[in-house]
Amino acid sequence: MNLASLGLAGAVTAGVVTALVAVLVPVRARPVVTGAGLVLTGAAGVAAGAAGLAGVTFSVSWPAVLPLTGVAFGMDQLAGLFLAVTGGVALIAGVYGVSYSRHGRAAQATLPLFVVAMLLVPAATSVGTLLVCWELMALTSLLLVLAEHRQRPEVAVAGRWYAVLTHLGFATILCGLLILVAHAPGDSFADLRAAPLPGGVAGLVFVLTLVGFTSKAGILPLHAWLPRAHPEAPSHVSALMSAAMVNLGVYGVVRVGLDLLGGGPRWWWLVVLGLGAVSAVYGILQAAMSTDLKRLLGFSTTENLGLVLVGVGAAGLLAAGGQRVLAGLALAAALLHVVNHAAFKTTLFLAAGSVLHATGVRDLDQLGGLRRGMPVTTAVFGWGALAASALPPGTAFVSEWLLLQALVHGVPEGGGAEAVVMPVAVAVVALTAGLAVATFVKAFGVGFLARPRSRQAGEAHESPPSMLAGMVLAAAVAAVLAVLPTLVLPAVGAAAAVAVGGGPATSGVLTVRLTGVAGELSPLVYAVALLAAVVLVLGGLRATATRRARRAARLWDCGGGPLSARMEYTATSFAEPLQRVFDDVLEPEQDVTVDHVEESRYLVRAVEYRRAVPDRVERRLYPPVIAALRAWGEAGRRLATGSVHRYLGYGFYTLCGVLLVLAVIS
Amino acid sequence: MSESLYTQLLYLAAGAFLLTAVLILWRRELAVIVRILALQGLALAVMVAVLAAREGSVELWAVAGGIAVLRVGVLPHLVRRALTGAEAARRESAPSVNVASSLLAAAGLTLLGFAVSQPLVALAPSPATQAVPVGVTVVLIGFLVLVTRRRALSQLVGFLLLDNGITAVGFLTTAGVGLVVEVGVSLDVLLAVLVLQLLATRMRETFGDTDLDELRELRD
Repeated sequence: MNLASLGLAGAVTAGVVTALVAVLVPVRARPVVTGAGLVLTGAAGVAAGAAGLAGVTFSVSWPAVLPLTGVAFGMDQLAGLFLAVTGGVALIAGVYGVSYSRHGRAAQATLPLFVVAMLLVPAATSVGTLLVCWELMALTSLLLVLAEHRQRPEVAVAGRWYAVLTHLGFATILCGLLILVAHAPGDSFADLRAAPLPGGVAGLVFVLTLVGFTSKAGILPLHAWLPRAHPEAPSHVSALMSAAMVNLGVYGVVRVGLDLLGGGPRWWWLVVLGLGAVSAVYGILQAAMSTDLKRLLGFSTTENLGLVLVGVGAAGLLAAGGQRVLAGLALAAALLHVVNHAAFKTTLFLAAGSVLHATGVRDLDQLGGLRRGMPVTTAVFGWGALAASALPPGTAFVSEWLLLQALVHGVPEGGGAEAVVMPVAVAVVALTAGLAVATFVKAFGVGFLARPRSRQAGEAHESPPSMLAGMVLAAAVAAVLAVLPTLVLPAVGAAAAVAVGGGPATSGVLTVRLTGVAGELSPLVYAVALLAAVVLVLGGLRATATRRARRAARLWDCGGGPLSARMEYTATSFAEPLQRVFDDVLEPEQDVTVDHVEESRYLVRAVEYRRAVPDRVERRLYPPVIAALRAWGEAGRRLATGSVHRYLGYGFYTLCGVLLVLAVIS
Repeated sequence: MSESLYTQLLYLAAGAFLLTAVLILWRRELAVIVRILALQGLALAVMVAVLAAREGSVELWAVAGGIAVLRVGVLPHLVRRALTGAEAARRESAPSVNVASSLLAAAGLTLLGFAVSQPLVALAPSPATQAVPVGVTVVLIGFLVLVTRRRALSQLVGFLLLDNGITAVGFLTTAGVGLVVEVGVSLDVLLAVLVLQLLATRMRETFGDTDLDELRELRD
């Protein structure tokens, strides 16, 4: 037993015991017990992951536990990274949930099991184990999405979308991995790595697993569940899903594509890069248009996972071209973005949960003015928004800078495809960074500043202490990652090296220095310089400005009467210019109704403006498929007329047909 | 028992077994069909008894006795009990395939049964396995009865034909599947027949008829 195996065993034990205890204890003590158990589970997960990142390995296998395949777990740096991230998010969600979670017994007991399943997925080292854990994760998360089904009917719709898409994804992963196993002596990862695969089969396996794993990661075109399920789940579950579960999709792509299949031809990675780029741009555009706070955050997850896949695709492309150092850098950037995204998305979802807890409203157009009632939540969300918008000293800035470095340096050395793809990818990353700024300025400015737009927002009050503690903890982690990314970068580089080989991608303690290519960055110095500049400017203004006695006066309102909340910018109006620019991409639906006064057509009584930005990809892609399936089902009904003889006849004729075929061919 | 006598007796029993199956297709009076079914049970019991005499196995003799009791006595009796008191349903009035076509189909199914069983026979050629095609054919004919006959009672008969065929194949290929297994299967069949008999009686009470196509409205 070493720290890694001990941590994993501890996490599993703590999670399962918590689930059992949560069923048994009375309703009053349940949130505290679940929260404490979740914290323990998460802490053990973090310990196991940290040990794995430090290079501790273990490998156990119990062939008798599961029929046919057995169970096998193990640890390497790549698994350790995802384990640590999942554990960390679970820990914070546990703290937060103590005073947030008021859900029923089933939901409280499922949550620790969900965390355990997510911890076991990266630790699985055989196909059978991986698939079982994956399915367990899908089922438990589905139950959690449905936790609030009594309160809102939309939860059922979201649950149905999620159930269908996640199981479609599971089916493709199953097919892909089984094809892989069929060509190998066994189903353990070591056997699969050694298996000689014909090129066509490897391509098929990769495409099938890619479809499944990207659907879990919320990547286009199988993303439709994500903006539905994330808003409807309880907020700490949203945080777990958005910051931990979707990462496992990336883990799957990296594990299967780069590790088990060992790279592969360029077109695989061009596909990955393309999917990531399209998802990044589309996700952030939809987020920019969204007025539902949690839906916005959900689409932002699609964007960030898209960026991660851009990094993974670039890494695969560079590795296929033989540039191991740059490939390591690109993958390290992608994995660092996974870590950073987990940190700031947890912060944001927990803050959004706090808002929802206080107001019961998710619609940005009805929020506003929360700064007075909820100062801590406002500060935390503000910091999270900065961290998410890829500006220094934000958290996402470091990883996106690394990603850009890898993409920029990938241009001159490679030939052919890289020469075209890399500059486009750079443009995509830059575009999403810009749009993300607009999105989060909207979310923060409209949601939290200015005046309240509704009664609920006006009466908002600060959340209970454990929720605040959870949020602040998440924000603190995001801050540490923003200022001192060098604390985790060596470990992330080691995890990347598992998949693509090569040495550490970066070095340095206060400054991030790239190995292999010229480039360095010091987030700490940036942060200090920014802080100093702000202090200097403010202090200078204070010192130089002439002081006058304060005088209370009415605000200048252009003579239009007292200022009211209806005169404020709303989320819709803030997004309107962007919507005009991207009109052709988004295809928004607008409806303006002008109501005239009865006496005269020239006098307008009221103008009504409605706008909806439906998910265009979903509207174009899904209905034909659903219609075809429905038609297929209707055609199937015609076979079943209700006559017993007919049903027996089907069996009889099939049997005779099969026997005839057998008699002829044998 | 000499080799040739054993073979002759076995084939005689197998021939009777097949012939009774075809007779069931031919006759339309339900009472007669039930009688033929009992005859077929007898043929099956004789077949097993011949095998038992050949092997000299007491266990197999016991199985043959059990089969005789069950398939000659109990099952036909149960089927007949479902029949009494329903004068109108005494004839299979309108089978969905007429008798002449049924007999032709039975001929085709016999050919198919023989063609399909060739690999089975080739595995271990012996007088017993040479008779396996008969069992397979009876299975197919039983299925045909299930598909083409409308009365609930004919369905019951078809089901029993199917089961007789399966049992025959079992004994002819392995010379006994073990007493426990055979007892289990027999109990299963008995239970199924009891349930089906009850169902047929209820149907008649509800609809005044036992035409299965009356049940069409029950689908979703």
